[in-house]
Amino acid sequence: MIITKQKDRDKLMECIKKHDKFFLIGCSECATLCGTGSPEALDEMEEFLKGQGKTVTGKLVPKTGCQTLGTKIELKKDKEACDAADAIIVMSCGAGTQSATEIFPDKPVYPANDSLFLGNMTRFQMFDERCSLCGECVIGMTAGICPITNCPKGLLNGPCGGMSDGNCEVSPDIPCAWVRIYERQKRLDNIEEMKETIEAKDWSKGQKPGRLYAKKQKEETKG
Amino acid sequence: MTFKEALESGKFVVTAEIGPPKGTDISETIHHMELLKGKVDAVNVTDNQSAVMRVNSLSICKIALDHGLEPILQMTCRDRNRIALQSDLLGANVLGIHNVLCMTGDHVSAGDHKGAKPVYDIESVQLLKIVDALNNGRDMMGNELKGATNFFQGAVVTPEANPVEPQLIKFEKKVKAGARFFQTQAIYDIEKFKEFMGFARRFPVKVLAGFVVLKSAGMANFLNKFVPGIKVPQELIDELKAAGKEKALDTGLNITARHIRQLKEEKICDGVHIMAIGMEDKVPIIMERAGLL
Ligand code: SF4
Ligand code: SF4
Repeated sequence: MIITKQKDRDKLMECIKKHDKFFLIGCSECATLCGTGSPEALDEMEEFLKGQGKTVTGKLVPKTGCQTLGTKIELKKDKEACDAADAIIVMSCGAGTQSATEIFPDKPVYPANDSLFLGNMTRFQMFDERCSLCGECVIGMTAGICPITNCPKGLLNGPCGGMSDGNCEVSPDIPCAWVRIYERQKRLDNIEEMKETIEAKDWSKGQKPGRLYAKKQKEETKG
Repeated sequence: MTFKEALESGKFVVTAEIGPPKGTDISETIHHMELLKGKVDAVNVTDNQSAVMRVNSLSICKIALDHGLEPILQMTCRDRNRIALQSDLLGANVLGIHNVLCMTGDHVSAGDHKGAKPVYDIESVQLLKIVDALNNGRDMMGNELKGATNFFQGAVVTPEANPVEPQLIKFEKKVKAGARFFQTQAIYDIEKFKEFMGFARRFPVKVLAGFVVLKSAGMANFLNKFVPGIKVPQELIDELKAAGKEKALDTGLNITARHIRQLKEEKICDGVHIMAIGMEDKVPIIMERAGLL
């Protein structure tokens, strides 16, 4: 899921200072699990804005904020409240925020959150990054552990000289990805695979902006 | 005799290190070059070491060449993508630089521009393969070059990494990728280094043991605590302590000289790489005490 954290309130206020009336949009998926776009988070934001002398004309937690069409349909019932607002504040990830940009061509849209990474929830509201969506997955060659994400240098062929007692040179809080890969390969009796050189990555596979028409691709694959 | 010829002839070689200055005043750098000239077989020129922005390695390599020293261009993958790396390699070769040391490079978080975007488009093993391709007249994509490079390429290894196995696997990969020589992280325990050499000797590569002079017991403790892959044994720390403050540096120089002499006499490796880190004037003293001058 997409991990978000709330922006510093001073920074948010700086961004929205020229507006008075806002409509708030959250998201019932990732941002709710992160506690940044849940109904409670929206209530709390409403209180905060009121305290700053602003008005909240209405609010909605759509099912999936990044599903542009669905969110647009859900927003229909809030048309009046939306019309009354001078700006939209979105409390989801950057993708959900840009759904609103598309839905409201004539209104300024502001993010209330910072989008951090694609994360795994390891415990309640504890998130770790495991995949950077690089466009071509290599973990079939690296014991199922992603070195592009788990190694701060994204190295593909083994640990750097900075590894210290199994930890990363960047921080002792990060276990060295390549020591983890080594340990797992050993456990899987697959050390020989670690001796194979992984070629330079084709970064064009992850070129921005990404676009995929899954249905069309499926038809093509079927031939 | 070039660095490569010296290694191939079986001579016990010595390389030193030059750290480019931060700024355009290169007078001290040139002074260090004068000190090392005629004594060492080659000098490594570091590449924005510790991720601190400085004069680039390539320019100082060229200056070293002009001052009669044979440079080893250190190249890290931290700051340049594959296009820039290959282009700099071609540029280095046309300037007459023929040795290159392929490294990953310290992370930007260690340096003085912590908000920089780390590149690592490729890494050390892949960079070695690129050098090999350029030497064979092709770029990494297989495009033909008008004129091949003639690099003598090397890499680094940390014999005292913990755990060491992944490091040794990477060493093997580097050999396969075309590394001809290795310079090691600083070593202090000759017996343990012998064990590493037992492994390294199975491959057709030359190995230069790395040295960093211990200036005091405090420095030794600092290295043990904060520098990955460095282990100073307790008896050396005790030796430095016993020497007292006044004599500590001199004792450190003696330790280095003693170790180098042993490596040479027992033919444990093919040479040494002395990283003076600001004490370039001490390199000739060490060499003299080690019986190399
Ligand atoms: S290799 Fe790429 S796709 Fe696979 S886990 Fe890592 S970042 Fe994600
Ligand atoms: S210590 Fe390990 S995880 Fe950290 S940068 Fe080096 S190889 Fe990557």
